[in-house]
Amino acid sequence: MKSSLADHKVGDRVILKEVLDAQLTIQLYSMGCVIGEELLIERKAPFGDPMIISVEDSFISLRKDDAQKMQVILSE
Amino acid sequence: MEKKAFKVEDKLRLVLVGNPNSGKSTLFNSLTGLNQRIGNFPGVTVEKKIGSVRINEKVVAEVIDLPGTYSLSPRSEDERVTFDYLNDSTRTDLPELIVVVADASNLKRNLLLATQLIDSEQPTILVLNMMDVVERNKQNIDIDKLQKRLGIPVIPMNARLGKGTRELKSIIGNYQYKKANKFIEDHESKDALENTINRFEKIKGIIADTLTKIGESRTAVVTRKIDSVFTHPIWGFSIFLFILFLIFQAIFSWSSYPMEWIEGGFLVLGNWLAETLPQGVLNDLLVDGVLAGLGGIIIFIPQIAMLFMFIAILEDTGYLSRVSFLTDALLKRFGLNGRSIIPLLGGAACAVPAIMSARTIANKKERLLTIFVTPLISCSARIPVYTLLIALVIPADKQFLSFNLQGIVMMGLYLLGFVAAMVTAFIMKYVVKSEERSHFVMELPIYRTPRWSNVAMTILNKTKLFLFEAGKIIIAVSIVLWVLSSYGPGDEMANVDAKYKSELAESNADVTAINEKIATDKLEVSYAGHIGKFIEPAIRPLGFDWKIGISIITSFAAREVFVGTMATLYTVGNEENTEGIKAKMQRATFSDTGEKVYTRATGYSLLIFYAFALQCMATVAIVVKETGGWKWPIIQLVYMGALAYFSSLLIYQIFS
Repeated sequence: MKSSLADHKVGDRVILKEVLDAQLTIQLYSMGCVIGEELLIERKAPFGDPMIISVEDSFISLRKDDAQKMQVILSE
Repeated sequence: MEKKAFKVEDKLRLVLVGNPNSGKSTLFNSLTGLNQRIGNFPGVTVEKKIGSVRINEKVVAEVIDLPGTYSLSPRSEDERVTFDYLNDSTRTDLPELIVVVADASNLKRNLLLATQLIDSEQPTILVLNMMDVVERNKQNIDIDKLQKRLGIPVIPMNARLGKGTRELKSIIGNYQYKKANKFIEDHESKDALENTINRFEKIKGIIADTLTKIGESRTAVVTRKIDSVFTHPIWGFSIFLFILFLIFQAIFSWSSYPMEWIEGGFLVLGNWLAETLPQGVLNDLLVDGVLAGLGGIIIFIPQIAMLFMFIAILEDTGYLSRVSFLTDALLKRFGLNGRSIIPLLGGAACAVPAIMSARTIANKKERLLTIFVTPLISCSARIPVYTLLIALVIPADKQFLSFNLQGIVMMGLYLLGFVAAMVTAFIMKYVVKSEERSHFVMELPIYRTPRWSNVAMTILNKTKLFLFEAGKIIIAVSIVLWVLSSYGPGDEMANVDAKYKSELAESNADVTAINEKIATDKLEVSYAGHIGKFIEPAIRPLGFDWKIGISIITSFAAREVFVGTMATLYTVGNEENTEGIKAKMQRATFSDTGEKVYTRATGYSLLIFYAFALQCMATVAIVVKETGGWKWPIIQLVYMGALAYFSSLLIYQIFS
C-alpha cells in the first residue's frame, strides 16, 4: 500500500513509487533518487523537517513538504 | 545543432562540466595550476574560471570550468549558466571538447548529465573521477565496456592525486570526433520528465553490466557514524556554535599580526611618498586620497582570507552541508533556506563576496532575501569602529556578571546584527511575493579530508573578489571624499592658512602641532565640514554632533574610515594612536550647550548606527549587479538607513 515518505520513521527501507511534482522528480532523479529505487530514512530533524534519506551510498536532505509528495511502499 | 568534425589544432578549448562534488574544480586546479583567472559570463554575474594547459608539444588548450550542475535542466542561477553555455551554438572561435567529470563512486546519477551531453552531439569525453573511492567502496568498473556502451572515450582518474592526467592529455591530444549514437532519441519521450525517466532506465542497464561489487562498502558507514553526532538536534548545534566560536577566536587573535604589518607598511610608504614627491595637490591626492583608500582595503585582507579559509575547509570536508541541514528548519521560518548559512557566515568577513555566494540558492525569493539581509551581519570593517567606540564609553575594568563588559558589548553587537538580519528576513517574507515553490533537495557528500588546493584557490579567489570588486569602489569614493574634505567654498580654506601664518613664522613654533590644528580647522570649513554642519539638526536627536556627521559621510567609502576622520577632526596627527583619539574625544563638548558629546548614550547610539546602516558603496554596487537593477539596493539602503536612524534615536533617548 502506497503512503507518503514523510509518514515513515527513521530506519524504514522503502521503495519509491511515484513523485507528485514534476520539478521535484527531475531534481530527485538528477541526484540518483529514482522510481523503483530503495530509500533508507537515515535521520529526521525535530518535527520531521528536514530529513536525510540515502539512496545506495548517497545522502540527500529533503524538506517535509518534498517528502509528502513522494509516494513509497515499505521494502520487504 | 550541427557541429563541424573536431580536429586537433594548435589551440582548443576544454569545457569542464560535471555534478557538484564530482571533483571538477580539483581537476581544473590540477590541470591549470596558477594559470587561471576569473571572468564573468556575459549578462550574468556567475564567475567564469578560465585557465590554460599544455596538452602536448603542439597543442595548448584553454580550459573553462563551468558551474556544477546535476542535469541539463537548470535549477539555480549557477546551473543556468552551464545550460546556456552548452546550448549556445554561436561560439565557434575555437574547436571545443566537452569533458564531463563524473564521481565514479556515484556513477548512476553522474551518467545522467554525461548521456544528456552525448545526445547534444557535441564532442564529449568522460572522466571517471574519484576512482580511489570506488576501490574503497569495494567496487569495480569495467571501463572498456562502459566506453563501448556510451560511444565516447572514458578515462579513469584520481584528480586529487593527479592520477590519470597523462592518459587524459594523451586522449585529448589524439581525439577524433566520431558521432556517437543517440542515447535517447528525442521522439521517444514526450517531455523533459519522461526523457529523464527513460534515460535512467537505460543507465540502470549499463550500470548492471559494468559495475560489480567485490565486497562491503565502508565509506557510508563512517559518514553515518559522524552524522549521528554532527546532525544531532542538540549535539549538532552545540558543535556548530563551538566551531564558530573557535573560528572567530582564531581570526581575532591571529589576524592582528599581519594587520599591524600592513598598517606599518602603509605608514612608511605614505611618509616616503609624501616626502619624495614634489609638494602639491597631486602629492596630497596620492597620499591622502589613493594610498589611504588602498591601505583601508588591504588592511582587511588577513581577516577576510582567514574567514574564507575556514569556510572553504568546512565546505570541502562536507560539514557545511550538514550545517545547512541543521539550520534549514529555522531559516525556513524566516523566509530563508539552509543554504543561506554560507552567505550569512561570509558576511562576517565582507558582504561583497558573501552576497555573491548566494548564487547557489535556487529559489529566487530565498536568494533575494539572503542578499537583502547579509549586510546586516557585522563585517570586518565595523570592528575598528566598534573597538574605538567601546573603548571610549565603557571603562576597560567594568564587569558585568564577572565578564568584561567591553567584550560583552562587542559580542552583543554581532548578535544584534544577526537578530536584525533574521527579523528583516521575516518581514520581507511577507513583502516579497513569489509563486515559485521552495525545495531543499540537497546532496550531503560523504566526509573527506579537505583538498588543500581547493581551499587555497577559494581563499585566493574570494580575496581577489574583495580586492577588485570592493576595492575599486572604495578607491573611487576615497578620492571623492578627499576632494570634499580638501576643498571648501569661497576662500575659507585660505583664511585658515592666513590665520596660522604668523604662528608658524615664529622661531620657536611647534610646526607639527600647528599643522595638526590647521588640518582640523580646514576640515571644519571644507565641503565635508559644511555637509556635517548642515545635517547636524537631523542627527542631534541621536546624540551626534557635526563632527560625527562628517565621519558618517566619509564612512560611505568604508565604515572604518570613521576612525581616520575622527583622528583628523580631533587633531591627532598619528592615526594609529587610538589612545590619543580616545582622550580627545572624551573631552569633546557640544559647541552650543557645552555638554559632553561622548556620553554612554551617544556611544551606544553610534554603535547601533554603525551596526545597522549600509555605509558601504561596494555592497550597494554588488547588490545592483546581483539583483540586476537599482530597485533592491535602493530599498536596502533606505531600509537599513531608517533602521539605523530610528534604533539610534530610541537607544539615545533611553540612555540619556
